[in-house]
Amino acid sequence: MSERAVQLIGSFLVAAAIVAIAIVVVTAQFGPTSAAEQESLEERQEQRLEQREELREERQELREQRQDNGGSG
Amino acid sequence: MEDLLETLARGNPTEVKVLLASAALALAVYQLVLIAVGYGKVRPPFLSPGPASFAHRAVGDAIVVILAFTALTCVSVYGVEDDAAAHIAAALGLLGVLTVKIVVVRWWHSMNRFLPILGISVWVLLALTWVTSAGIFLADS
Repeated sequence: MSERAVQLIGSFLVAAAIVAIAIVVVTAQFGPTSAAEQESLEERQEQRLEQREELREERQELREQRQDNGGSG
Repeated sequence: MEDLLETLARGNPTEVKVLLASAALALAVYQLVLIAVGYGKVRPPFLSPGPASFAHRAVGDAIVVILAFTALTCVSVYGVEDDAAAHIAAALGLLGVLTVKIVVVRWWHSMNRFLPILGISVWVLLALTWVTSAGIFLADS
């Protein structure tokens, strides 16, 4: 391989390294999660809250049914 | 177009735009080093002017592609907003000077003596465009 080709490849490798460093540095500034990940995290949290709310309502209904049964029996 | 870019960026068009613009700016700094070697202003033992100039041209082509995609994302997702006047002015200036530089490099060779000033203008306008958008976004985050 000629010296010119080696220098060219080296120049391109340096350019690639600069891009990689820029991406790493800027991504680190964004924080650990992307906007899409944060949205899905919020969605999961909302689903969990809804499930808890449903369970609470079911328990409340069961309690009320038991109280009704106990009162009539 | 907006939907396509949103999908490509997986719902993070701003972050992708900031990443691309930052990569372009970092490469632009490298371009200054390469052309300084190309013009013989700096003479490192490991890089000759010929390969440095060739690499400068190739990296410059890559920067143009990155900037075109970044500009497309910017206009498609955000449009033209009044509160981004400085960013828009810098970006339009960059587009104009970059176009003139490409024309001079490819076809208008009699104007080659203006390439250094055109190159420095491109760098300054790119830095201004980055500072007025990506720089502010990164400072806020």
